[in-house]
Amino acid sequence: MSATTEAPAALKKNYLTALKEALDEEMARNKMMLCQGEDIGRLGGAFGVTEGLQAKYGEDRVVDMPISEAAIVGSAVGMALNGMTVMAEMQFIDFISCGFDQIVNMMATYHYRTAGEVHIPVVVRGPAGAYGGGALYHSQMNEAWFCNAPGLKVVCPSTPYDAKGMLKAALRDGNPVIFYEIKELYRKREIEEELPTEDYIVPLGKAAIRREGKDVTLVSYGQNVYHCLDAAVELEKLGISAEVIDIRSLVPLDEDTIFNSIAKTSRVIVVNEAPMTCGFAGELIARISQKAFHLLDAPPSRVTRMDTPVPWVKPLELHVLPTIDKIVAEAVRIYRF
Amino acid sequence: MKSPREFVPSGFLVYLGWGNLAIIVIQKTENLLSAKSGSATAERAEQVKKPSQRLTKEDCLEIFKQLYLARYFDVRLIKEKKRGRLRGTLYSSHNQEAVLVGSLFGLKPTDWISPIHRDMPAFFMKDFRFDIDNPDRLGMSIEEVCAQVWGKEGSPGRARDNWSHIGSKSKRIIHSTSMLAGTIPVAAGVAYADRMQGGDAVVLTYNGEGSTAQGIFHEAVNYAAVHKLPVITIVENNQWAYGTPVDQECPTPDVADRAKGYGIPGLIADGQDVFDVYDKVMEAVEYARAGNGPAIVECKTFRAYGHGDHDDDRAMKYRPSEEIEKGRRRDPIAVCRQTLIDLGYLTGDAKTMYMAEGKNAGDATNDDFPPEVVDFLNKGIEFAMNSPMPAAEEAEKWVFWNGGQA
Repeated sequence: MSATTEAPAALKKNYLTALKEALDEEMARNKMMLCQGEDIGRLGGAFGVTEGLQAKYGEDRVVDMPISEAAIVGSAVGMALNGMTVMAEMQFIDFISCGFDQIVNMMATYHYRTAGEVHIPVVVRGPAGAYGGGALYHSQMNEAWFCNAPGLKVVCPSTPYDAKGMLKAALRDGNPVIFYEIKELYRKREIEEELPTEDYIVPLGKAAIRREGKDVTLVSYGQNVYHCLDAAVELEKLGISAEVIDIRSLVPLDEDTIFNSIAKTSRVIVVNEAPMTCGFAGELIARISQKAFHLLDAPPSRVTRMDTPVPWVKPLELHVLPTIDKIVAEAVRIYRF
Repeated sequence: MKSPREFVPSGFLVYLGWGNLAIIVIQKTENLLSAKSGSATAERAEQVKKPSQRLTKEDCLEIFKQLYLARYFDVRLIKEKKRGRLRGTLYSSHNQEAVLVGSLFGLKPTDWISPIHRDMPAFFMKDFRFDIDNPDRLGMSIEEVCAQVWGKEGSPGRARDNWSHIGSKSKRIIHSTSMLAGTIPVAAGVAYADRMQGGDAVVLTYNGEGSTAQGIFHEAVNYAAVHKLPVITIVENNQWAYGTPVDQECPTPDVADRAKGYGIPGLIADGQDVFDVYDKVMEAVEYARAGNGPAIVECKTFRAYGHGDHDDDRAMKYRPSEEIEKGRRRDPIAVCRQTLIDLGYLTGDAKTMYMAEGKNAGDATNDDFPPEVVDFLNKGIEFAMNSPMPAAEEAEKWVFWNGGQA
């Protein structure tokens, strides 16, 4: 995957730049698109994803909002109702809880309750995920909340190519999309890659096979994809061949790619940094059990965060999160089942 | 300090209450003007103070009829519900009709509204002044509204959400929800988008006084104030949020005082006087349309029945009967009638025709309403009764938009 591509360093782009390019190109393409969030204009965003956009598109289209996630997402619904496409930034995805009601009760349901008269092209995006010492309120993966609200699409790219292509797809989708960005990947050099110069999208609802294998399927998304890839290298040394699937899109979900892989390997582990109970890993395992049980030679398994908040200091943080060692150990266990 | 409940419009206390209110209103008006322009002339001030003085006799009589329409819709639905013909809960607008009629009458077709559950008549009354039977008017038809009430296929939302949660993008009516004050940020977004597209639309949101305790109320009004968005937050202060009195909801005597925190005008209207509502709302609308930003208009009124029809019996217990009696005494139709008599617009037999005011819904008959009002609603009900139920499988449709594909 990206880390092994051979483009000259100068042409490679990081995950954050990919997102910025997506916003820039979509703003240029769609005059009815607007970006709003906290500190996204003058400052260019806490992480710099929107840097330069306000200077280019003006204060009306790149709006510095009051500290009010509810107003950010709620007004985005109204704008969408009145013909606009909106990117609504959460400074950290943890803060999305402050806009939760407007997202699940208003944004998610509008199309349904109007029997199709209204659709809401809004992308709520924000930095998510742990492994960086962000502690309790800057480390969460709360995607399961939104997968449980019919009407929302939920996606999480892991590479710069996907980050750009999926953000563009999300902004053109016409449905409300909750877009999880992995902040630990924003500036990670190892995953930089060359991006096409021409316009492209990565369709929502299609998984990617990141590594082929025949003994065990590791299913994941976001930062955990890289942990799975590293675990696969370790497993190779033990004579176990792991296939790594990056589902990228949780809703809609590409079940076929997962089931086809299990048909090959007959073993599956879902790796997910969200807490175990009622997390998305549980949903994947339920579907696999229900629809692909006949393909399995071992019980479907999962490696997730413990049911704890995300602690601050490194030893505590890694203790509760999925790690390469934990994935390897679980893969060995079910390989020998 | 005066108890806010003394604003309940009846009897001697009310006289005192409205006396004080007049002073407050004048102060608010001055604030509004000074916020708008430092050099307002006295002539201009007089004009802004009383938009109803610009209404013609025909306008006034139309407004009077619209009060009957709103009342008849409520009376008829209460009866239909009691006969067991309707599913769900009815949130009566009885005694609060002047807020709806007075606020809607001055709007332009291009304006948006965002009514809530107790404002059912607003859905079909939008743009009524542009002829009830005009198919091009930007209000919903009575047929659509009745189909929604009866849960039929002919309703705009195809009966997915309950009857009080309708709306129509094409008619510029934001869909109501159960999350109170939750439509104010949506209204602000609608206004923002309209401004970006070069429009001059004003968005009226309707909210109970209980809604003003919600965090989203603050967040949305604050946002609208920062961006000077033309969003008028109408607070229908009917003294009760379900079973909780207003003095347990709001720490200031007037909900309109909340406006101070946003640096926007907070007006108070006599919610039983359709012309006062019209004046205050028009003041705010003209102010907002001129680019000055949002306003709050508190309309002091009284909820005639329970929170919903499921609550009517209990409401008699948690609200003292003398309070109910007092609250209902100033009927908006009666107040309007008296104004029209004073103006000489109603004379002779017309002064005593169609006496729906002061009657319980169960006591009012069709004779208490103008025949065209009865006919109008009958058309809607007939359509609703003849419209089929949506197919069960439709329940799976429209979770996601698919780009307009069938």
